[in-house]
Order: sequence, then structure tokens, then C-alpha cells
Amino acid sequence: MELTFYIAAAVAVLATIMVITRYNMIHALLYLVVSFLAVAVVFLTMGAPFMAALEVIVYAGAIVVLIIFVIMMLSLTREDVEQEKAWLQPKLWMGPALLSFVLLAELVYLLVIAEMPAAPAVAGSYVDARAVGLALYGPYVLGVQLSGILLMAGIVGAYHLGRQKKKVIHRFLQEKEPQKERSAAI
Amino acid sequence: MTLTDFQHLMPLLILTFAVLVSMLVIAVGRNHKIMYVITAVSFLAAFASLFELRDVGRYTIEPLLVVDGFGVFYIGMMLLAALLISMLSYAYFEQREERKEEYYMLLLLATIGACVLVISKHFASLFLGIEILSVSLYALIAYLRTRERSNEAGIKYLILAAFSSAFLLFGMALVYASTGTMEFAGIAAAIANFTELPLLLLTGFGLMIVGIGFKLSVVPFHMWAPDVYEGAPAPVTAFIATVSKGGVLGVLIRFFMEVDGFRYPTLVLIFTIVAIASMLAGNLLALLQRNVKRILAYSSIAHLGYLLVAFLAGNQMGVEAVTFYLVAYFITTVGAFGVVAMLSDKERDAEQLEDYRALLWRRPWTAAVFTAMLLSLAGIPLTAGFVGKFYILAAGVNTQLWLLVVMLALNSVIGLFYYIRIVAVMFQQPEAEAEIQPRGRLRPSIYVASVGTLTVLALLLVYIGVYPSGLLQIIQGLLVTSTAP
Repeated sequence: MELTFYIAAAVAVLATIMVITRYNMIHALLYLVVSFLAVAVVFLTMGAPFMAALEVIVYAGAIVVLIIFVIMMLSLTREDVEQEKAWLQPKLWMGPALLSFVLLAELVYLLVIAEMPAAPAVAGSYVDARAVGLALYGPYVLGVQLSGILLMAGIVGAYHLGRQKKKVIHRFLQEKEPQKERSAAI
Repeated sequence: MTLTDFQHLMPLLILTFAVLVSMLVIAVGRNHKIMYVITAVSFLAAFASLFELRDVGRYTIEPLLVVDGFGVFYIGMMLLAALLISMLSYAYFEQREERKEEYYMLLLLATIGACVLVISKHFASLFLGIEILSVSLYALIAYLRTRERSNEAGIKYLILAAFSSAFLLFGMALVYASTGTMEFAGIAAAIANFTELPLLLLTGFGLMIVGIGFKLSVVPFHMWAPDVYEGAPAPVTAFIATVSKGGVLGVLIRFFMEVDGFRYPTLVLIFTIVAIASMLAGNLLALLQRNVKRILAYSSIAHLGYLLVAFLAGNQMGVEAVTFYLVAYFITTVGAFGVVAMLSDKERDAEQLEDYRALLWRRPWTAAVFTAMLLSLAGIPLTAGFVGKFYILAAGVNTQLWLLVVMLALNSVIGLFYYIRIVAVMFQQPEAEAEIQPRGRLRPSIYVASVGTLTVLALLLVYIGVYPSGLLQIIQGLLVTSTAP
């Protein structure tokens, strides 16, 4: 079980690195799916099958499909890939990458030397859908409500910001304006 | 959830209910005035419901929330600030072409987020509160989409806030990994025996400070503040500067009092450096600005530095000083941005220093209120800002934070310069006769709310400045129940 965890974690890290280094967005997206699936496997090895299923359904499924739609609407061409390549010069990312690597090394060191207070065994606990449901609708019911409020804020904000600007009125909508004026004139 | 739980969450329930009602009202028909009235009434009702919780003691709703005197005071303060901001918003948005109704919904939602923050005692509710606040603010900042800078400000805030949330989450994960709990009390129990923080826990706290520091816009996490303040509509800027920061500061104080973070020299050192850097950078950079909104942004960075001085005192008096100063800061900031909002016209906000030239001759009362607000920010006697600063100094001296106290005094002098410069611009003689003519205004009835709000703020400012003991008694009465663990 330990081995599966480490393999899945390594796949997740590698796939995520591939996501941010690809020039072609579709390729990056495919690696993103792999990364999500690897994280799902990690959840599975930690004894959280429900989380693993959610990870696959919500992230690898719904969210990636949304991103694909967006990319399709952007209708990227070969030039965009070249453009991306031109932007991602080694001299641009080497500095930040080196600094981040130092931080990462520090963090890994910290995690290695730290004494975890009786860390839960990797395969010990088993959290199934029933346990998740009981926690969410038992003690954490207020958290669920607050998440609802959060989603509402997101939807209202997105609706306002995403509304089409006045300049590009759809032709069906354009016809309404003269009608209104006519009725006002009457 | 029992009935008593609902009673103790009444302010939040009222606000949530108001959001739902507003959404239904928008679905039936758009009307700016009705939305405005619903918002103002629900803020008032939520504030009134707090009187029921006056002597609540300490009521916990396991495992996420705790309602106590501290929380009740902060919620009340933020509700009043939000009420005043919504009253200032009416005239501001009435002259704009955008759809106005969603603004009030987002304002209510953001206030809910801030209120959840100050009564949370668990990482989950802390994070949800911060996210509700941030997500509402993304939309509020970019609300006026036709304006030049609003998209820039919105995107800047979105990316940086999302990034800082990631830091916060990672910090929480590390704290959870080393203590095994996400409740403040549980963390306090887990680290009670350490004299020095273990490295992993320190890393966790450090990452959390990055996330919290971003929201408070303290140096070195302040880069977003001037641009966002400039790009956002003036009432929204007032909201970011007051309610958003007040909520985050509230949860920071609660967390630190609970886990007694002042025992650890490393954490105190971090906050000392942040406080000094914020005071210095805020005040020095404000000297270079010609844009009133940006000046106020840098001044708010400096004021957060002052607040951290009292926060670092780390005792009952420090918390009282922070709270008192926060009240004074809320009044002055809402007042200052209220003046900016009132002077703004259809196309742009009155943000250049030029817009304020000879204001005294054009609109003497507005200029007088703005002068009072600026003097309070500078900490001149007879204003609330002076008493607040005095209190912070007292708290600092009391716990012998000499370095911080000296820096505070020094920075107050630097700050005085740019506040007085705005005042001087307002007092200049008008150059041409044409300038004396007031610009074209809206119907006067629309301005009633704005003028009334500014009058109330100015009166409060002087009242607290002259007679601070009334407010002090309220603060002491409410805080005494909560900070004694």
C-alpha cells in the first residue's frame, strides 16, 4: 500500500510539472487530467474512496470539460503555440524556479526531520461516503451552509461580470430597443 | 443545530435572508431604491439583533463557531460600517449606468463573510469566511466594468487573493499535520507544552501569516493595495479598507489570544518586522503620491502597522487598544472615502489631488468633513484618531515595546505631512471665478443619505475624540468576557 501511495504521488508531481511546462494548452490539459487521477489514487490509498471518486467526477470530469470548452472557444492555432514558446524562455523562468527550488528543499527537509505526533497510519483509517455524509450533515452542517453562501457569491459575481457588454448586443435583443421606444411613444 | 444556536447566529441569518430576498426582488423587477432600502434595513435589523447577545458570555456552536463579547463587538462594528457604506453607495451608483442591484447583494455577502471570520474558532470556518469575503470582493472591485482601471484591479486582486489563499491553506495543512487538530483550542492544547515552536509548526504559522498578511495588506504583502484601491469604486474601497481588514484582524487576534502566540519570540519578531516595515513603507510611499485614493491606500497600510503595535502588546489592554483604534479607523476611513464617493462624477472618481483644489470655496461643508477625517487619520487632538493613537502608545509603553513606540511616533510625524498637504490643497484660493461654481449635481434628494452619513460620521469622530470613555466602557464591558481563557 505504501508503494502505491509513493508511485501515485510521484505521478501527480510529474504530471503537474508537465502541465505548467507544455506550450500547447490541450497537452497541458491532458496532463492535468492525469494529475487529478493520480491525486484520486492517493486519496484511495489513504483510505478515502469517496474523496477519490469525487476527485475523478468533479475535477477530472466536470472542471476539465469546462476548460476544454473554453479552449475550443478560443480556437487556438499553431501560432499561439509558437507565441507561448516565445513567452516561456528559460531566462524568464530559471530565476523564480531556482528560488522556489530552494524553498522546496527547505520544506522537504522540515518534513523529513519533523516528528509527527502519532501520524495516522497510511492504510489504517477508512473514511467511506457514509462517514463523510455524517460529518458534513452532523457537526459541520454550518460549514456546508457557508459553502452555499460562498457559491452564491461566486455565481452572482460571475453573472454580473460575465454579462455581455452593451456594444455587442445580440440581434434578438437589439430588436427590443425600438419596440420599447415605440411603446413609449404611444 | 438547536434553537439557541439559531438565536446566537441571528445577525448572520438576517443577512443571509436579506440576500435571498434581494435575489427574488431582482427576479421580479430591478429597482435601485428598493434594493438599497432592503440592504440598509437588514443591516440595521442585524445590528439590532446584536443587543439580544449583549451579555452572551461565551457560547460555542461546535465545532466551528464561538459567539462571545469580542465577536459581538466586532460584528456590530462591521455591520455599522457596512450600513454606512451602503448609504454612501446609493448616490454613487445612482449616477452610473451599470446595473446596480447586484452590488448590494455582494455587499451583504461580503459582510457575512467578515462576520463569520470574527466568530470562527476552527480553520474550516476561518477559510470559508475568508473565501466568502474574497469572492464577493472580486466582483465588487471590478463592478463598474466600463471604467478603465476596474478590470485591472479586479484581476490583480483575484490572482493575488487566490495565491494567498493557497498559502493560507498550505499553512493550515502543516499546522494540522503537526498538531492533529484544526480547532484553535485544540492547537493551543497541543502546543501548550512547547517553549519554542517546532520548525514544522513555525513553517505552518509562517505560511498562514502570508495569507493573513495579504488580506491586511501589510508590508511585504501590500503590493496590491494601491492599484486595487485606485481601480475599485470608492464605496468598495471603503469596504476593503474597513470591513475586510477588520474581520481578518479580528480572527488574527482571536487565534493569537487562544494559542497564546506571544510566548514565542520568533512569531513576535515576525510581527515586529512586519509592523515597522508597514509603518515606514506606507508613510514614505504615500509622500510620493498625487492620487488621493492611492494616498489613502498607503495610509491604510501604515495604519495597519500602528494596529499591529497594539496587537503585539498581547494583553487585555492591547486588545482594547486595537479595538478602539479600529473603531476610530473605521469612522475616518469610511468618512474619507465617503467624501471621495460624493465628489465623484459620472465618468470618474474624484481621485486626483487637482480635484480637491479650492474645495473649501466650492463646497465648504464637504471640505470641512474631509479635513476632519484627514486630521483624525493624522492623529490630531480632539479627533477619535488621536485618542486611538494615544491608547496604542499607552499599550506599547505598558509592555515596553520601545522600538515600536518610537517608530510609531516617528511615522506619525511623516504621516502628518501628506495629510496636511491634501488639506492645504483644499484651502487654496480658487484661481478663476468659474471654479467657484459647483459642478452639475444630481437631484438633491439623492444626496440626503450621503450628506446625512457624512454628518453622522463627523459628529461621531469629534464625540469619540472629546469623550472617549463612553466607547471605552462598551469595549471593556464586551471584551472582558472573551479574552480571559
